[in-house]
Amino acid sequence: MIQFLKLSWNNILRYKTRSILTIFAVACSVGVLFSILSFDIGFERNLAKEIEKTGIDFMIVSKGCSFEVASLVLYGAVMPKYLDEGLLDKVKHVEDVEIASPVLISQLPNLKSGRTDVLYGMEMSDISKLKPEWHVNGRLPQRGYELILGYLIAEKYQVKIGDEMPYLRDGINFKIVGVLNRQNSQEDSAIFVPIQTLQELLARPGAVTSIGVKTNNPMMIGSVQDKLSLKIPGIQIIMMDEVRKNISSVASSARALTLTIAIVVAMISIMGVVDSILITLFERRREIGMMRALGASRNDIFRLSLYETVILVSSGGGAGIFLGFAGSGIVEDLVREVTPYVPPGKIIAFEPKLGILLFSCSLLAGVLAGLYPAWKSSRVSPIEVINC
Amino acid sequence: MEVFKGESDRGDKLLSNGPIARLRGVQKVYRRGSEEIHALKDIDFELNEGDFVSVIGPSGSGKTTLLNMIGCLDKPSAGVVLIDGIEVNTMQENELARIRREKIGFVFQQFYLIPGLSVKENVSLPLLFSRKRADNQHLKSILEAVGLSNRSMHKPNQLSGGEMQRVAIARALVNNPRLILADEPTGNLDIKNQERIFNLLKALNRQGLTIILVTHDPKAAEESGTSFAMTDGVLTRIQSVADYFCGMRV
Repeated sequence: MIQFLKLSWNNILRYKTRSILTIFAVACSVGVLFSILSFDIGFERNLAKEIEKTGIDFMIVSKGCSFEVASLVLYGAVMPKYLDEGLLDKVKHVEDVEIASPVLISQLPNLKSGRTDVLYGMEMSDISKLKPEWHVNGRLPQRGYELILGYLIAEKYQVKIGDEMPYLRDGINFKIVGVLNRQNSQEDSAIFVPIQTLQELLARPGAVTSIGVKTNNPMMIGSVQDKLSLKIPGIQIIMMDEVRKNISSVASSARALTLTIAIVVAMISIMGVVDSILITLFERRREIGMMRALGASRNDIFRLSLYETVILVSSGGGAGIFLGFAGSGIVEDLVREVTPYVPPGKIIAFEPKLGILLFSCSLLAGVLAGLYPAWKSSRVSPIEVINC
Repeated sequence: MEVFKGESDRGDKLLSNGPIARLRGVQKVYRRGSEEIHALKDIDFELNEGDFVSVIGPSGSGKTTLLNMIGCLDKPSAGVVLIDGIEVNTMQENELARIRREKIGFVFQQFYLIPGLSVKENVSLPLLFSRKRADNQHLKSILEAVGLSNRSMHKPNQLSGGEMQRVAIARALVNNPRLILADEPTGNLDIKNQERIFNLLKALNRQGLTIILVTHDPKAAEESGTSFAMTDGVLTRIQSVADYFCGMRV
């Protein structure tokens, strides 16, 4: 087999330019396929992490579209609806509710930067329970005009602990008392203030955009939801897993389209390989005839030709996986640029299983693509060599 | 150096009796549309061990078709072809390939060396199809016999036409065939190399190898032991090649 492979490899090297172009075409399509599939896996994984980092089992919001809730959780979208005052107390008193933490989200103009920032009003006393992984350089805000910044936004604004950020109107200066360590999540771009301060600033005492609920036993989530629905009509309970599914379903249609395009491109490149091999075989008819005259069986010729295709396609597959991995940063930046929502953190990472799967698929594609040219070459008559 | 071992590929000793190739009433008819072309007409031919036979004749007379029959590359429309006593005209494709591998060596006008392979690798090619390991000593002796022992690692593009044809002859010998079919082996060579190749074939014949040479070269035909002329599918033994060529001019 090694001798046959060696001879096939030699034949590939004889047509260097053609072979390189063929391998490049396969590599490009496999690279794109690898990037898309890696992105797909990374998207789901990072989205799950992002949801997990909220630290809650479900969220209570006023009735509306669940997609709005997804936006609320992940972008910090500002919803015009607020939950009724006093609702928080009712939720806290439901059996098996460990934490019921209110969140008020609002956009406020940043007078220093001239931009509008999204501020998260949170109950600071709940943070240690909801966000055990948080490490704050400085301290958490207390009552009053104090805030902490996410890692990226602190870098973006080039501010440090002790600096002030003016919001809404002159004279309202928030003092930066802490900066979050890097979370690789949306929190890196967030600004957190005490909820009471934000309510006061908006002149909406007791206003809450959502209530994040964590139960003391994950098995009791269903029962807590039932109790809440009975006790408090007019609310919407959104499971965090449901939010993940909603986001995923929105993104999946776009990903399915790109995946389809990548598969079509891969198929076209495989057709290109078949075409290239057929041309090569046509050019080498007499040489094949010579081999047949020297005693090569049809099976020998079939093998030689098949190996050529498999070597070309699998080389392209291997190179494509490498290209996909090497260019993942560029692809990721590009996708982030054009996709409305991509979870934070590195999305495209080398997935060994995916690499093996794609390489195996390229081997299989090589075998399938090689069957016809191999069969065709095995039919070359040895008379070809005599009749020249 | 003697390279022709006088054994078949399977180690059987050469049979001293019986022809290596025998054609009985062989006909070959091609169809071109409604037209029938009789490429071979009732050929009876015997080739014995150690023969050096040349076949001459104009283009399209049927020489190549005859070579195809003896070389197990084609099957007759009628008649029987026996190679080393084995009837091959009823054999399947893979069995014919085995006969070619084991009993016949081919030398073509165009050499057909594989460009990326060295001389040694080109010579070893038939061994690949026979599933045999290349024996360095055997290869060395063959390359010495064709005068290319110092060129074994060269690639075909580093060789002259004459050297390439000698590589092709070495390749034909590597499986220890019983019969060499040489299809105008000097057709692409200059006079000096034509002579050298022909002398090499004669030397191999002297060692006992049976050779059929298809040629347009009167001198080569004259010097071979027996000459046949092919005319319109009819094979005739000729006594004098010179007379044959004179007759053709007339």
